[in-house]
Amino acid sequence: MLRLDQVSAKRGNVVALEDISLSLSPGNTLAVVGESGAGKSTLIATILGLLRPSKGTITWNGAEVSTCRPSLVMQEPRSAFNPAHPLLRSVLEPIVGQRATVPTERIERLCTGLELPQQLLNRRPSEVSIGQAQRVGILRALIATPPLVLFDEPLSALDAVTQKHTARLIADLQREEGFAALIVTHDLGYAVAHADEIAVLKSGRIEEVATPESFAVAPKSDYCKTLRDAAIALGALEAVG
Amino acid sequence: MTLHVSGLSAARSGRTILHPTSLEIELGARIGLVGASGSGKSTLGHALVDELRTQGRSVAHVPQSPDEALDPLRSMAFHWQEAEKALGLHTGTADQPMLFEALKIAGGDLKKRPWGWSRGMQQRFVIAMALIGSPDLIVLDEPTSALDPVVAAATMDLLDRHLQDRDTAMMLITHDLGLAARRVSTLMVMQDGEIVERASTQDILERPQTSAAQSLSAHRNWMALPC
Repeated sequence: MLRLDQVSAKRGNVVALEDISLSLSPGNTLAVVGESGAGKSTLIATILGLLRPSKGTITWNGAEVSTCRPSLVMQEPRSAFNPAHPLLRSVLEPIVGQRATVPTERIERLCTGLELPQQLLNRRPSEVSIGQAQRVGILRALIATPPLVLFDEPLSALDAVTQKHTARLIADLQREEGFAALIVTHDLGYAVAHADEIAVLKSGRIEEVATPESFAVAPKSDYCKTLRDAAIALGALEAVG
Repeated sequence: MTLHVSGLSAARSGRTILHPTSLEIELGARIGLVGASGSGKSTLGHALVDELRTQGRSVAHVPQSPDEALDPLRSMAFHWQEAEKALGLHTGTADQPMLFEALKIAGGDLKKRPWGWSRGMQQRFVIAMALIGSPDLIVLDEPTSALDPVVAAATMDLLDRHLQDRDTAMMLITHDLGLAARRVSTLMVMQDGEIVERASTQDILERPQTSAAQSLSAHRNWMALPC
């Protein structure tokens, strides 16, 4: 289980996260939502150990998070890959040293589910569309069947239909393999449809942790209500009642 | 008065990406151009803008990426003055404070170049430039893609208010039928470089005829997922 206990973190002298306590069990999905600059991506960096917390502790089953080799789907799809290498080489990075052979069946299944032709993996990042690069990022994150996957805006470059297919694939694999998923997203419709819990961040603090139902129907704070109403105005959520 | 274009087409590397397309747009119309990634929406948007400008019409274009609209070597203030000049306005006559306040970019430093602003702020700056005057048509290509939901909703609301009392027609290009459904009265669905369906928003949502429209309609909302 991923556990954050009263975590604070700074970017330079600015407090980017303050007193964050969260937990995430295997097989579950936690969506982290909030406006730009709320600290969502900083939260991911802190969990991965890229940014050291100034206070508090972050653990996976009581040990350091790095012991579980978590995966990350990065926000900027193209810059997530080495521009000089074919995508396949980057995709195989998480399993370097772990396996002698390329897991062809796994790649095949993920490519099919992500609607990516396998030959595309022989191209370089600049030779594929941003939406394709984003799905290759998801492929790389899931190839080694990690126990914890951090998704930073994983569907932002995909069209509405592909978004739903990709979300479905992630949910199916999660059911089969039981990984814990933390998903940072602007898309509240996605959060409500796929998360077990939604954490709303505002100015580096947790405003509310709610189930999708209570977030969609009866958000507690004014800010969460504003977010919910914005999602309805944008067509990402249906108005209830 | 109606805007009219005919025979718009485009090819890239020998492949036709926009088949010959004709359009009529009534003044004050609210049109959504929807379709999957790569269906030719942005290409049609560009071709439409170019053709109408050739005809002497005034068209504001908010491209998908702010990089297309902003010169990295020029300050934001320069861009604003150019937009005013293009509309024949004297410098400083546009209601910049109101637009910036409504789009929540009032804190942006106009002396900076585009890269001194975040991508979301750049996108809103380009939208503000498009709202300076009353052109014949505003074409908005995925205008909320870099914005968080609160800011995106505020931006779309400002757009609605702005267009309310004007003859300016609007074309909203998006892959998100859920977004378009709330903002436009007519939808055009694109697939493989062609407009395959054109009907009222309600008809497309309730009685989509083509496979492209059916797919978009079925997937427009996260909560109504087809299995």
